[in-house]
Amino acid sequence: MNRQDVAADRVLSLTLKFGAYTAFALIVAGLLLQLAVPWGTKVTAVGLLVLLATPALRIIAACLQFLHERDFKYALVSFGVLAIVVLAYVLGL
Amino acid sequence: MTLAAMLLLVAIGFFAGGFGALAGVGGGIIVTPLLAIYFGLPMHQAIGVTLLCVIATSTATSSMYVERHVTDVRLGMTLELATTVGALIAALVAHHINRRTLAILFAGFLLYSAISMIKKAWDSRSAKKEEGIPDYTPQNYPAGLAASLIAGGFSGLLGIGGGPVKVPVMLLFMKVPLRVAAATSNFMIGVTAATSAYVYWGHGDVRLDIAAPLVAGVFTGSLLGAKISPKIRSFYILMLLVCITGWLAAEMIYKLFTGGFQ
Repeated sequence: MNRQDVAADRVLSLTLKFGAYTAFALIVAGLLLQLAVPWGTKVTAVGLLVLLATPALRIIAACLQFLHERDFKYALVSFGVLAIVVLAYVLGL
Repeated sequence: MTLAAMLLLVAIGFFAGGFGALAGVGGGIIVTPLLAIYFGLPMHQAIGVTLLCVIATSTATSSMYVERHVTDVRLGMTLELATTVGALIAALVAHHINRRTLAILFAGFLLYSAISMIKKAWDSRSAKKEEGIPDYTPQNYPAGLAASLIAGGFSGLLGIGGGPVKVPVMLLFMKVPLRVAAATSNFMIGVTAATSAYVYWGHGDVRLDIAAPLVAGVFTGSLLGAKISPKIRSFYILMLLVCITGWLAAEMIYKLFTGGFQ
């Protein structure tokens, strides 16, 4: 019953697409700017940060979508994954 | 960075992402050794940069598979509980492993990948393309979680996705159809690699100047590869990848014997 969850698939694929295309546009723009002006590297850096943040964003989107569907078991699972990812960020610093 | 170096990195990313998506293997395995051997990056930095490429491939291609309802999102999220823990622990450990040991581990992994791709190429000759997905219920979660923990560990230690560990276990022990297992593994890789990447980032091992042109190439290559992969026989691409990984493994071993990777 769980597999064909059209709404969740839609929310997650949109989140992934949004992250991928935003990151890609910023990185390409930054690489081109870099050839002309020194602050181009800052634009590529923002693009790579968007790329790094996208997986975390995708977990948050899943968590919210499962809450919306009142599927609390998987909302909790998503929250657990998010907690580990945030822990990795904190421990890395 | 010179324009030539930038374009070279874009090209490497394009081919790694494209071949990876076409052959159904992670392109990351060729990026790390190329950076370590030919660009002189320390192993930790080469792995840190590769992790960004892995996130790029997973993000770009898994949006397509999720849209087509091939990915089992709930199964993926559940197994991510284990891949992220494995990735976190291994990434913290990797920081304390010296470059040479890491290079030895990676060379061993390259040889293993080359051999498993020969088997995959052989099987692909008789495989049927694009069939429907049968009904299933994932079974044996403990086996799946254990495999995911190990796959996550490989991600944190060597900067790879860990698909070769997860997919067979999902297929054989959890009774998930192959296409679903492959798409779900691909979906999980982004979050797993991100977990490792945050740790590498914190340790200063993610070189943004090298990563940016690579990632731009990987995005284009993997999207193009995923679009045309149903129309292409993966046999020849896999054999080409076997040659490349075999060559890179030989180069790494030669460099190890001549005192490299210090």
